Amino acid sequence: MTDWNAMTDAEFRKEVRQFFEAEYPEELRHLPHRPKFAEIEHWHRKLHAKGWVAPAWPAEFGGMGLNAAKLLIFYEEQQRWGVNRGRDMGVQMVGPLIIKFGTQEQKDYWLPRILTCEDIWCQGYSEPGAGSDLANLRTRADIDGDDFVINGQKIWTTMAHDATHIFMLVRTDPEAPKKQQGISFVLAPMDQPGVEVRTITTLSGETEFCEVFFDDARTPRENLVGELNKGWTMAKALLSFERIFIGSPSLAQNALGQLESFARGRGAFDDPVFRDRFAQAALDVEDHAALYARFADQLKRGETLGADVSMLKIWVTECFQRITELMIEAAGPDGGSIGPLQVGNINVDVLASFYKARPTTIYGGSNEIQRNILSKAVLGLPG
Amino acid sequence: MVRELAEAGVFGVAVPEDQGGLGMGLAAGGVIAEEVGRVIAPEPVVSTIGLSLGLLRRLCPDHPKMAQLIGGEISLAVAWQERGPDGAPADATCRYADGKLTGGKAWVVGAIGSHGFLVVAEQDDGPVLVLAEADAQGLVIDKRTQADGSSLGELSFSGTPAAELASSGAVLTALAEAVADATALAAAELVGLSERAFEITLDYIKTREQFDKPIGSFQVIQHRAVDLNVMCEVAQAGVREALAQMDSETDPKVRAPIASRAKARAVTAAKKITRDAIQLHGAVGYTDEFDIGLYLNRALVLSAWLGDDAYHRRIWFETREAEGAAQ
Repeated sequence: MTDWNAMTDAEFRKEVRQFFEAEYPEELRHLPHRPKFAEIEHWHRKLHAKGWVAPAWPAEFGGMGLNAAKLLIFYEEQQRWGVNRGRDMGVQMVGPLIIKFGTQEQKDYWLPRILTCEDIWCQGYSEPGAGSDLANLRTRADIDGDDFVINGQKIWTTMAHDATHIFMLVRTDPEAPKKQQGISFVLAPMDQPGVEVRTITTLSGETEFCEVFFDDARTPRENLVGELNKGWTMAKALLSFERIFIGSPSLAQNALGQLESFARGRGAFDDPVFRDRFAQAALDVEDHAALYARFADQLKRGETLGADVSMLKIWVTECFQRITELMIEAAGPDGGSIGPLQVGNINVDVLASFYKARPTTIYGGSNEIQRNILSKAVLGLPG
Repeated sequence: MVRELAEAGVFGVAVPEDQGGLGMGLAAGGVIAEEVGRVIAPEPVVSTIGLSLGLLRRLCPDHPKMAQLIGGEISLAVAWQERGPDGAPADATCRYADGKLTGGKAWVVGAIGSHGFLVVAEQDDGPVLVLAEADAQGLVIDKRTQADGSSLGELSFSGTPAAELASSGAVLTALAEAVADATALAAAELVGLSERAFEITLDYIKTREQFDKPIGSFQVIQHRAVDLNVMCEVAQAGVREALAQMDSETDPKVRAPIASRAKARAVTAAKKITRDAIQLHGAVGYTDEFDIGLYLNRALVLSAWLGDDAYHRRIWFETREAEGAAQ
């Protein structure tokens, strides 16, 4: 078993880069949509054979056992080469949840199935009345003999129509004094009569989001993860690493590269106003990367990141949006056209980038919620 | 004040050890500049570290004035820019011949109270760096008061005696390098200034009450404060990274756009933070009773000096294009 953490950062980066460059299928690079599992199955098999499906999991569970610093390098290389994350909800969310809070039986049963993608997971958090105010969720799981009986509705459930299982936050004690109490984590199979999935078509015409309706759906009581009514604390514990990853510079950097090629091809740099706005965007990305490096260094020193890491997400997502807006400007009269525009020997799908940038300020805790967090936890402002 | 700074080794921070300095580079100079910015000190610390010593250590490191500058015994202002008939910056026409200067120089930082001037001039066979004493014959100093109470000097020379320190193309190269250093250090000064202005504002919105609550409990105020904080942190990270990169780069063509990146960021941040700081203080922010206005005024001066954000974004972009075309 290779001890990746013992390698230098440069060696490890080289190893990861070489593998992606040699093995990742060219036709899957920088996929503009979220693929169904069938579309990326051949890549998943290669990754599985290499033992690289779960970079963050401890080696004893079949992961690579990477520390935070190495993990960051792994993801940076993944994004640099445009490697699709695959159907990684199981690896990213369910695995860490079970490893941290699950029973031995749960670990033995679920973890190998996540690695092989025998089970494909979706995340049931948001509800129509519980978005930013997630603790307001109402989907109930009531104990009935050996089962939970689930009733309610989840929404914005990414790729639920291509999932075999859902891990969800449900209300198990409606009488709890605070709404954050009385919430539990349960796992449930999707293929049963009480579960109905409807896709939601987004502004860009994609159908990666779903609504999931539960009407007396059932899941065995042994599919409760962790203690009953302690789901909220567990969900928060899962977020720590995600908060720097969601603020990584790569989306904005890739978009900036696209913008530059496109603008050059279109002659947009002849306009001094455009030049200045491009320079602003480019420097916004560069200085963000400097701040990101500061937080990444903290991780490398083994420190825990504070709430201030949220500022990365605010800055980079808003910057990403400005870059894609500049792309539309550079497109001129083509700015409303769907599909790729050819400039020289490259194709740029201006609107696809624009649409891709819109939800980044909404998901993962909207930027307004991030500002609330920074205001209270970092600046110490009252109320 | 100047002597105290000198005793702390401040002025020689970026001068190599074998030339009598601390040899700690621009990154360490930036730490000092941030502190100077935090207290909005009017002393010409950055112009001495970046311009005066930046020029001398590159062109005549053995000159006795070096040690005096590092020791804080004297100050020398650098006169390199000129004003055209329309008032805007113009090409150099100030002449040096037969040991005498003729013409003028503008935007000279630290001119008042300086012991002498390092003047970049033209002679028959190219550029020259000369030293004119402050009390030299035929030197007239016109004072332009700045928003922060400091002043810039407009110099005019009529047959003013001056001693040659260095000549040839090396003078312009050294000047460009020194200007890049000073530009990046001014960016660091603005970062320190912005941080302190933000802290003062944060304290104020935590204590100022309206509608029976601290105004910092209102979400609109909170989100504005967060944006200023983020701006501050991005500026600090970007400018510190830029200074460290300048220490590890020797090619002037690479160092110049890095300095531009730093100044562009720092000016954008300082403008936003000091102006919003006034707004968040409300009416008292517009009076001279509160310190916060001093930060706005100092930011105006440091932003205009050596180029503001729009200027440096242009330079950054043009250098990048030229490099791209050269490859």
